[in-house]
Amino acid sequence: MRQLYEYHPVVGYRYIPRLRVRIPHEGGGYLIQVNEQGFRADRPFARARTPGHRRVLVFGDSFTAGDAVPNRQRYTELLETRLPGAGTPPVEVYNFGLSSTGTDQQYLIWREFARDIEHDLVVIAVFVENIRRVAAQFRPHHDEHGVERLYAKPYFRIENGTLQLCHVPPRREPYEEHELDAAQAAAVDHGGRFLMLRRMVTKLGMRDMVQHLTQYQPLPHYDSPASPAWCLMRAILAQWIRALDGPVLLMPLPLPQHLDETCDAAPYQARFAELAADVGCRLHDPLPDLLRIAPATRRRLRWDKDIHFTPAGHDALARSLQPVIADMLGAGLARAS
Amino acid sequence: MGKTILGIAGYYHDAAAALVRDGEIVAAAQEERFTRRKHDPSFPVNAINYCLEEGFVDAADLDAIVFYDNPLLTFDRVVQNACAGARHGDAAGARDLFVQAAGAVLGDKIWVNEHVRQTLGTPGRAGRVLFAEHHMAHAASAFYPAPVDSAAVLTIDGVGEWATTTLGTGHGRKLELFAEIDYPHSLGLLYSAFTSFCGFKVNSGEYKLMGLAPYGRPRYTGRIREHLIDVRTDGSYRLDMNYFGWLDGMAMPGPRFADLFDGPARQPETPITRREMDLAASIQQVTEEIVLRTARHLRRLSGERNLVLAGGVALNCVANGKLAAAGIFDDIWIQPAAGDAGGALGAALLAHHMAFEAPRRRTDGAGDTQRGSYLGPRYSSEEILAFLDRNGYP
Repeated sequence: MRQLYEYHPVVGYRYIPRLRVRIPHEGGGYLIQVNEQGFRADRPFARARTPGHRRVLVFGDSFTAGDAVPNRQRYTELLETRLPGAGTPPVEVYNFGLSSTGTDQQYLIWREFARDIEHDLVVIAVFVENIRRVAAQFRPHHDEHGVERLYAKPYFRIENGTLQLCHVPPRREPYEEHELDAAQAAAVDHGGRFLMLRRMVTKLGMRDMVQHLTQYQPLPHYDSPASPAWCLMRAILAQWIRALDGPVLLMPLPLPQHLDETCDAAPYQARFAELAADVGCRLHDPLPDLLRIAPATRRRLRWDKDIHFTPAGHDALARSLQPVIADMLGAGLARAS
Repeated sequence: MGKTILGIAGYYHDAAAALVRDGEIVAAAQEERFTRRKHDPSFPVNAINYCLEEGFVDAADLDAIVFYDNPLLTFDRVVQNACAGARHGDAAGARDLFVQAAGAVLGDKIWVNEHVRQTLGTPGRAGRVLFAEHHMAHAASAFYPAPVDSAAVLTIDGVGEWATTTLGTGHGRKLELFAEIDYPHSLGLLYSAFTSFCGFKVNSGEYKLMGLAPYGRPRYTGRIREHLIDVRTDGSYRLDMNYFGWLDGMAMPGPRFADLFDGPARQPETPITRREMDLAASIQQVTEEIVLRTARHLRRLSGERNLVLAGGVALNCVANGKLAAAGIFDDIWIQPAAGDAGGALGAALLAHHMAFEAPRRRTDGAGDTQRGSYLGPRYSSEEILAFLDRNGYP
C-alpha cells in the first residue's frame, strides 16, 4: 500500500495532494482520490461560490473522510447527488474529513484550509470517540506497512478560560515510548481503557459478543458536564462555531456500541444538546433514525471487522441528514432573499 | 463502451496482474515487485491492487477477470501423471507424487474464484472468473500487442496444462493454435533440468545458464542428442524420460544424468567448473537448433512473414538472436514478459479480442501497443517528497 499522508505543520498531517490510491480492505478494497488541497475529493475546493450553487462544508474524522468506501459512496457525495430538489439550485458538498483526527485538528483544518471558502452551511460531524483524541497529546498511527508509530498531535488546553494551542508545529519524527515523561505518557490516546484486553478480544473476533455481555460504557467523559475532557471538547466546538459566520449543523456520530444498543447514548446526547443550545447552532442526532432500522440490517451499516460505515451506512446517514440540510439551506435562502 | 479486463497469473511462479481497457494495456506488474520475494508465486493481491489503482477502476466495474491457466486441465495432467506412475509399478511413489502435485493444484489454483472474491469482494460484471488456456494466454500476449495484422505464433515453455510447445497463427483479432507438443516432452523442462544439474535454481537460474554458455564448448551436444532428446527435422522432439524425474518424482534431472555427464550435479554456491560451462554451451546449442527448426516448420505451415514469440523459452535472448539472424521470418516480435507473468496480460487481451470479439487496435506502422516494459507503479513528486520527509532523508 502507498503512503497516504504527508506532514502538515499545523494539523499534523494531511492526505498527499493529488493522490490516487486503492486501499485493500475487508470489503475488497476501495479507490480514493485526493484533490490539490489534500482532501479526499474528485475536484479542487474553490474559494468563491460556483454561480447558481449552494455550498456545504463538512468536517469530521474517518467516518466523514470515508474510510473503507470510495469517495462517491460517502454520505457527503450522496447528499450532493440527492439534495437538489425541484426548482432548487444544485448543492456542492466539500468534505474536509481527515482520518484519525480529533475535533481539535478538524477545527485547525477549518482555520488553515476553509476559513475563506464561501459557503451556505457548515456541518461539524463529531464521531463521539473524538473526545478522547481531543484530550490526547500523542496518538499512534499505522503506516502503510501496518507498523504503529507514535506521533505528537496538535492539541488545545484551557488556560485562564481560553484555549491555548500546543504542539504546533508538531515534531515530524515519531516518538519512542521511552522519550515520553509520565505526564506525556498519560496523554497518549490508546483508544480507551484496557488496551491489551481490547486487542485480544478484537483479535479473537469477539468484540461484539464481549460488548454485548459486559455492556461496557466506553466514553465516561460525557457523563458529567464538568468532566475535563468534555470541557475541553465543548470549548473547542464553541469557539469554532462562534467563529463561523453562517448556519452550523452539529452532528454527533455514534459508536458501534450505540448502534447495537449495548451502551448508553444519553450522556453524549445530553452534552451535545446543551452545547447546541448554548452556542445557538442546530443539532442533528442521527442515532434515532439509525435505530429505527431493523437490527440485522443495522449491523450491516458497518463492516464485519472495520467499524467504519459500509456504503449502506453512508446511505443511511445521508438519508437522515438530507431533510435537515435541505431545511437549513432553504431557510438560508429565504433569509438571503 | 470499452471493456475493462483484469488478467491474473499466479500460484506457480512469477505471479502477476494486468489491466486492459478497450484493448489498451493500462497497467501490468509482477507480484515480486511488491513483496520483494523473487518469482513470488502467491495470488497477486498487490499487483491486482496496483492495476486497479492505475486504472482507477472499482473491481465491481471490471467486465471480466481472467485467469491465465485452466486448473481443471492441469489437474487432469496431474491425475494422469500419477496413474502412469502407478502403471509402472511404483504405486507408493505415484501416490506421493499425486498428493504433492494435486495439493499444489487443488490447494490454490482450483480456488481461484474464491481468492478473487476474497481479494476483490466481487467477481466483476461477468459474475465469475474466466479461464484462459495457458498457451493461448502466452500466444495472446505475443500476438495482440505486436505491430502486425497477421503472424505465425510460437510458444515454448516448461508446461501449461498439457502443452509445452504450440504453433499457431493470428489474423486480426483471431488467434488459433493448430499444433502442439505435450507434456512430458518439453524443451523448457529440458533446459530447466540442465539448470538444476548445473547448480542453479529452476524457474530462476535459466538466464545464468544461458549466460554461462559462451564460456564453454558444446562438447556434450552429441550425448544430449543421442540419449536425451530425439529432434526431428520439423523441430518436434521427444525426450527419453528415463533420464528425467518429473514423471515419477519432483526432481528435474534423474539419477542417470550423473552417469551421462561425468559426475554428480554441481551443488549450489560451489565453484563453477569447465564441465558446467560446457554443459551450458551444449544445451544452449540444442535449444537453438530446436527453435530454428520449429520456426522453419512454422513458416512453411503458416506462410506468414512475421513471427511472434512467447513462453519461458522465449526469454532465451541468445536463441532469439540466432532466430532473428537466420532470416526465417521477415520480422519477429517477442513479448517482453514472455514467461508466466506475461500470461496475465495475455489472458486479459485474449478475453478482450476473443470473448468480447473486440477488434484489435491498429498501429498503422506506429509500433507495437505494448507501451514498453515500464508498466508498473509510478510515484508523483508529492508522494516522493512525503516519503523522504517522513523517513528523515534530507
